Amino acid sequence: MATMHRVVQSSVSTSDATTTSYDGLTSCKAADIVISDQFPAGLRVLVVDDDITCLKILEQMLHRCRYHVTTCPQAKVALNLLRERKGCFDVILSDVYMPDMDGYKLLEHVGLEMDLPVIMISADGSTRAVMKGIRHGACDYLIKPIREEELKNIWQHVVRKKWNENKELEHSGSLDDTDQHKQRHDDAEYASSVNDATETSLKPLKKRSNSKEEDDGEIDNDDPSTSKKPRVVWSVELHQQFVSAVNQLGIDKAVPKRILELMNVPGLTRENVASHLQKFRLYLKRISGVAQQGGIANPLCGPVEANVKIGSLGSFNIQALAASGQIPPQTLAAVHAELLGRSAGNLVVATDQPALLQATPQGPKCIQVDQGVAFVQHSVKSESSSSKHFSQSFAPVEDVASGFRSWPSNNIGTAGPSNSGGLSSQNGNMLIDLLQQQQQLQKPQQRSTVSELRRSINVQPSCHVVPSQSSASFRAGNSPVSVTQNGSYSRTAVIDYSLLSSQSNCPSLNIGQVSDVNLQTTGVLSGYIPPASVSPSVSSCSVNADNCASQQVQTSSMTFKASRHLPGFVHSTSNIPDPYGSTKSGDLLNQEPFNNLGYINKGTCLPAKFAVDEFQSHLSSSSHGKVFSENIGTRVKQEPSMEFGDNAKVGIPMLQQFPPNDLMSVFTE
Amino acid sequence: MLGLDADRLRADLNRLLAFLFHQGILDEQYLQLQQLQDESSPNFVSEVVNIYFHESEKLLRNLRSLLMDREFSDYDKMGIHLNQFIGSSSSIGAKRVRNVCVAFRTASDQNNRAGCLRALELLEHEYCILKNKLHELFQMEQQRLLAAGVRYPMLN
Repeated sequence: MATMHRVVQSSVSTSDATTTSYDGLTSCKAADIVISDQFPAGLRVLVVDDDITCLKILEQMLHRCRYHVTTCPQAKVALNLLRERKGCFDVILSDVYMPDMDGYKLLEHVGLEMDLPVIMISADGSTRAVMKGIRHGACDYLIKPIREEELKNIWQHVVRKKWNENKELEHSGSLDDTDQHKQRHDDAEYASSVNDATETSLKPLKKRSNSKEEDDGEIDNDDPSTSKKPRVVWSVELHQQFVSAVNQLGIDKAVPKRILELMNVPGLTRENVASHLQKFRLYLKRISGVAQQGGIANPLCGPVEANVKIGSLGSFNIQALAASGQIPPQTLAAVHAELLGRSAGNLVVATDQPALLQATPQGPKCIQVDQGVAFVQHSVKSESSSSKHFSQSFAPVEDVASGFRSWPSNNIGTAGPSNSGGLSSQNGNMLIDLLQQQQQLQKPQQRSTVSELRRSINVQPSCHVVPSQSSASFRAGNSPVSVTQNGSYSRTAVIDYSLLSSQSNCPSLNIGQVSDVNLQTTGVLSGYIPPASVSPSVSSCSVNADNCASQQVQTSSMTFKASRHLPGFVHSTSNIPDPYGSTKSGDLLNQEPFNNLGYINKGTCLPAKFAVDEFQSHLSSSSHGKVFSENIGTRVKQEPSMEFGDNAKVGIPMLQQFPPNDLMSVFTE
Repeated sequence: MLGLDADRLRADLNRLLAFLFHQGILDEQYLQLQQLQDESSPNFVSEVVNIYFHESEKLLRNLRSLLMDREFSDYDKMGIHLNQFIGSSSSIGAKRVRNVCVAFRTASDQNNRAGCLRALELLEHEYCILKNKLHELFQMEQQRLLAAGVRYPMLN
């Protein structure tokens, strides 16, 4: 989805809508065809169906709609394709019944990992099947045969999804347009180092139709000259100074110049302060937005309570996951240990941050927050068996906590800024650390994007210390969720309140939801990066790893979920004794349209009137397992006797064998 | 008089189509297929239909072998095959074939082996009809195109 706004690599006219048939051989040329002003033309659709006939028909129909089509007859291949090329597709059409993977499973995978709209297609249009599709999160459910008009409208699901994301983010105020414009000049530094990956954090927030001017704005801000500024490390003390200066001036009157004067830190430039201030402001807005949206009077309690809810869900999920045998007991134990607040795992630390942030005097609440994110943490752990990662992050907990508490508590916003830009850099840092952990978990994907992130982080002055060890140990890892995908970035930018709303709206526990929730939680966490010592960043990085790890989370949650659902084709298993006898079969047939065909006892009675007796014998021979093609050949030979004109005569008596019923009413003369 | 032949062939073609629609062998989804054919894909319909034939015969063979097996009990598998058959048949507009498949699937849902056998034979029969008719249709279309390609020299 982000690629719709992405800088077009090469402008291609919509008439070049091409089809790539992906059998694992060819590649998706998504980057070539992005025309946002001719939307919905150029929409990138992935079609997954094991039925080649339907695949071809859909492909042609989608071509007609001027979409860019990629077909894939196997679900597993399609999933790999999606994973490898995140951001290459806007919408997915998937069949329900496929031999290698259940369509619902694919749907879950996609919904959780990539958050792309998925439309199910099936010949089975029963209410039960459609309901199942909806429950699994399908955006739509089309029944074969599919008409072209139905396909013309699938773009609405892409837009709707995006706008809903936009709405959430706008509410949070993390990307307020006025803020953007006001601070655009301040953004020079921060935006200049924004690479494609981080840019996408802003991109998904924009409506597709409005993307152009904003994109241009973003691109304009990419000032190469500022991209090489030395990084400023916003340590705890520095941030404290900053915050006190801001408080002194008053948040409304705090301008970078004056803040700089008040801080009186040598070597600090106005631009550094400006960018830090911007992040700070956005973070404040987000926090206050949470309080409002959540309808919670006590702003301190708000996010924490949200997290508490998540926590309860998280615990549930952990146990559920454990129950499903997806999680090794030792990780489960580790998670529980974290929940108790004894040891600081990756997630715990990060979760602690917002809790500590908003509730510095409220120690106990930290634990509740832990629970919330522990789920994600848990999933991360479930995948990474190495405990050394955890031990890394154990240390920083206390540091973080102390760092937080040292800040003035009169202002919630003592926590660092948490705008999307800050998120991008901070997420990048965190992601990098996460990635190295994730490296063991998943096969590395998008190394380049990760390394891009890394570069951007180094360039950008941020309040987030990048620990040398984490950098050293950084390895390109899987970062599809966080880096290149709108989804993850936008998720991280989503504030807590959306968690609240989602919680209230969906009381039924949904693992997929929870993982989203957790992503948001971690987004909050990432939003605030404590300018503490090295280790906290490590921990916070690892915490946010769950963004990347969301795949893991989702995988585990998905497997859990899958186990709950009947696989593949479900049919009634009423045991009717095998009725070889004619009477019984007659009874059975009564239930079916067959009976109406007068097709009582003999299989061969049907074609009796079909011109030639030999035909009948061919039919019976076919029942002996002859090669079918031969039968067809012989049958064709029978045909010549039946001229087109004669068919009318012959057809009628034959048709009379099929007394009109619902199925065959067409035959009535 | 080749030009007239072209017209006559077109008329025959339309009549055949009308007959097929009337008999329920094809339905309006087939028209959708025809509409999808254009200059960029001039043989679209025949390509799709050939794919359909190829796949359907595979399915029919599978169904046949499943049912011929004395120890057959995997109605699930049969149901999956049938689902695909229903999907592809309805996608090209093979209405009668599709209807027989639906009935077949019902029998399979009820684990009614005899009913399945009967349904299979009916299905094979209907499939043959469809295939023959579509071949006929394509032949006529070919002839018509050939005939229409001939032009009378312009009279001065």
